[in-house]
Order: sequence, then C-alpha cells, then structure tokens
Amino acid sequence: MTAQAFTERDYFTDPAVLLDPYGYFEEMRPRGPVCQLQTHDCLLVTGYEECLEVLRNPIDFSSLNSLASSAFPLPFKPEGSDISAQLEAHRDRYVGGNLVVTYDDERHNNVRYLVSRMFTPSRLKANEAFMRDYAGQLVGKVVAKGRCELVTEVATPYVTMVIADLLGVPPEDRVLFEQQIAQGQTVGSIENPDSPTDMSVLEFMGGHFARYLQARAENPGHDLLSELVTIAYPDGCRPDLIELISLAVFMFAAGQDTSAKLLGNSMRYIVDTPGLQQQLRDDRQLIPWMLEEVLRLEGSTKATHRVARRDTHIGNVKVPAGKAVIVALAAGNRDPRRWGEDASEFKLKRPGIREHIAFGRGAHTCAGAPLARAEVATILNSFFDLTSDIAISEATHGKRGARRYQFEPSFIIRGLDNLHLELQGR
Amino acid sequence: MSTVVVTDRKCVEQALEIRPGLTLMQTITDAGITDLLALCGGVCSCATCHVYVEGSAASALAPMSEDESCLLDGSGHRRSNSRLSCQIRMSPALDGLRVTIAPED
Repeated sequence: MTAQAFTERDYFTDPAVLLDPYGYFEEMRPRGPVCQLQTHDCLLVTGYEECLEVLRNPIDFSSLNSLASSAFPLPFKPEGSDISAQLEAHRDRYVGGNLVVTYDDERHNNVRYLVSRMFTPSRLKANEAFMRDYAGQLVGKVVAKGRCELVTEVATPYVTMVIADLLGVPPEDRVLFEQQIAQGQTVGSIENPDSPTDMSVLEFMGGHFARYLQARAENPGHDLLSELVTIAYPDGCRPDLIELISLAVFMFAAGQDTSAKLLGNSMRYIVDTPGLQQQLRDDRQLIPWMLEEVLRLEGSTKATHRVARRDTHIGNVKVPAGKAVIVALAAGNRDPRRWGEDASEFKLKRPGIREHIAFGRGAHTCAGAPLARAEVATILNSFFDLTSDIAISEATHGKRGARRYQFEPSFIIRGLDNLHLELQGR
Repeated sequence: MSTVVVTDRKCVEQALEIRPGLTLMQTITDAGITDLLALCGGVCSCATCHVYVEGSAASALAPMSEDESCLLDGSGHRRSNSRLSCQIRMSPALDGLRVTIAPED
C-alpha cells in the first residue's frame, strides 16, 4: 500500500466521498468504532453500538450542532467538565438553533410532545386515499410517456403534496414552496464549506406559515396546522406562535428531501438487484421488507451530529466536554459486528432489520418515519400497478454493474439527484 | 420522591424517579435500561416499548387510544394490562406504579 492510501480524506468536502461514502466509512472502520479525525477536530463514530450509545444519551450529548455539523469549532472557549450552559448561551450561533432537531432537555421534550401525535397510524390511514389517488395520477402520467426523471417529475411533487395535504397548506402555495425548496441549497452542502446549511428557504416559508396558523386559530379545520394551534405542552402551557411557526415549517421541509430520496434509492435497488423487481411484483407484502433493507443500506441520512456537553465516554473512548461527534448512521447500518460479514449486501428479511438506525434512535428519532414509509410504499404500489417493467435508462446512467449516478452534494443527505427510468405500461 | 418500579427482562427491579412531563418510555431509557427498543422514538407508531402495568396506581393511567390498542394487537404478548410506555405520561399520581417490560416480539 502506498503512503497516499493512508491520507485521510475529508468527509465534509471530498467529491469522491460523496459518490461513495460507504467506501470512506470502511476505510475509517479499522481505526476503531470511535476515532478522531485528522481533518477536523471531531470524532467519527462508525460502530452500530457506539452510534446507539450516543443517540440514546441526550444527557451527555447535545443535538445543538445536528444541522451545523461537526465541521466547525465551538463558537466559544469551553470551560470545565460541563458546558451545557455555555452551549445554550450560544444557541443563536448555530444554524438551525431554533428548530426542534437541535433542541435539548425540556424544550425538546415539550416540542417533541406536540409532534408525537402528528403521524399516528390513524392519521396516516385517513390520508391514505389521498396518497393513493395522487400517486396514481402522477405515475399514470409518466407511464403514458413511457419514461420519466423520477426525482423531479414524481418524487418531489408527490412528497410535497402529501405533507402539504396533511398539514393543510393551501393548494395555491404548494408549487411555490416546491420551487423554493428546489432552488435552495441542500442541507450540509459540500460545495459551500463555509456555510453548508442555509436557512433562507425556511425563513421564506415562515411568513406564509404564520398566516396559516393565525387563520387556523380563528377558524380551525381538521388538518395538522389546526391541531398545532390547539395543542398544549405536557404541563398545560401553550407554545407561542414563533415556536409553532418554526415547528410547522420544519415538519413541512424536513421530510421532503429525505422521503423523495428514499423513493429514488429504493427504485435503484428494485431495478438493479437481480430478481428483486419480479419478487416484489409477485408478492407486494415484501415491499416493507425491501424498504427497511434499503433504509439500512442506503438511508437518506448519512450522518447526524452531536456535541458532548459533559466529560463523558463512548465505549471506552474518553470524550471531553465540547468535542463534536459525527454519528455516522450509514456506517452503523453496515457495521459487520452488528449485521454480519454480508452487512454491505442487500438481503430481504434480514434478521433484526427493524433495528437499523436510518431514522436515528432515542429522543430525536425521526418523527416523520411512519409517513415516509407509508408514502414510499404507496407510490411503489402505484408503479407496480401501472407498469409491467421498470428499467433504468442505460443512455443516461450506463449499464447495470457500471451505472453512473449523481448524488445530492451533501454530507448529511444520501440520495440521487436524478434517476431516469423507462417504463413499460401494462 | 415519587417513583415507578420497573422490572427488566432479566427480572431486575429498579425504582425510577417520576419526572412529570416525561413519558414512561423516556424514564426507562434515560435510566440506561436498554430492553426497550422504542424504535419510533415515542410517536405511537410501533409497539417496541410494550410494558405490563400493575398496582393501584395503574387506575390513574389515562385510557389508551385506538392507535395504541391497534399497535398492541400486533404483539404476540399482549395481555389485559399491556400498555405502550411512550403513551404514559409521568405524574405524581403514578407513584408506586409497577411496570414490567414485555418480552420482545
């Protein structure tokens, strides 16, 4: 092996890591399930158990940097073995510091309580007919053409419309938001290392959501926005309008890209895994199993971030207060110690599959996971209903085994920028 | 101090302090008891925080929703005193509640 091979690549900016983050994680895994990066002053956690340990320990690990990432130093000099108060005092210095995903302690418990009743089975069931009808319309249109670019023509409008319908966003504003999101910078952009996450799209939407929430307060309906304006925290206190706006905007925006990416990633596995498409067509009950395995192997979030707020440890590695930690969900999901030597292979009905960490774990587990699963399963059923065969365009992506794909240029999100399909109608 | 007494799958008992506002699931996982997978993170979408509740304080629990009941139907270990611990919000009225973590499905 040459000296070059030992040079650590930059997780946050290297385009080759973007193309194959799994190769990067396997390169790093021999350094131990928790290792110090040379490129940045932070720890990288690649072990499944170690990822769980961090995610389940909101006492020692703050989520304040979960969007800002571990690429940046603390905006203050840490003092002592517990920097919780210092972190809170600098919350406004962290991008997304006013979003539930970065909250800790009681503030997080309170807002999480509001979210906890949003995507229940009965709520999703009530929305199922809308999802099925809209999925059928979108898929019907592209099947009639015989081809599509899945991400922009189907996945993005579909997930935007589903969450808009659930929340109660007026139809005339939905396309506007879709355009804003499409034009905005991705979360954790590798192309903009000084400011990888930009909140301007959320700020734009905030003005609109303030109006919706005020209208619902005067005239409640049956949508989620109406529920938000009537719900109270566990102690009976009511959230203020700013908190509700920030939560509603986050719920609207957060699930879109990740759900759309899940559809793209799933479709790639369905077409590129020999025999899988026919297996799913023959037995639709296998779709949820396929989705879980795709989530494990290629979930939409590669990594989340934490910062130690107290002197602590992960496994037997000491972690000082102030240390940033990359929790590499995608690496934990391929850890051979947890998943066996075939961890990087696609395997339907893998034992223990539901324990993957694609949606995180613990207090910050993705609350929209049930929605993502339901909406992607629904539209995949529409594709199988309306086609006899789905192929990936060889003209655009090359032949199976030598495909060329473009990925969203993000160190947080994993998903295809585009996926060109050829569709054989029934 | 108000407490709930939790028995894990190895039959080890622990008295845990009731912190109002938290759910029973959070109380158990924050105590470092790893038996509860709690895969959905407490949004009433899976049944991996399934517990059995006993003791006179059980009568102070809020009734279960239809969603909670449907999810528990999916468990092979449902009993008459089954609950999802993410749906139980801690309050001093639950002092003395006895909780046993159900077997894994």
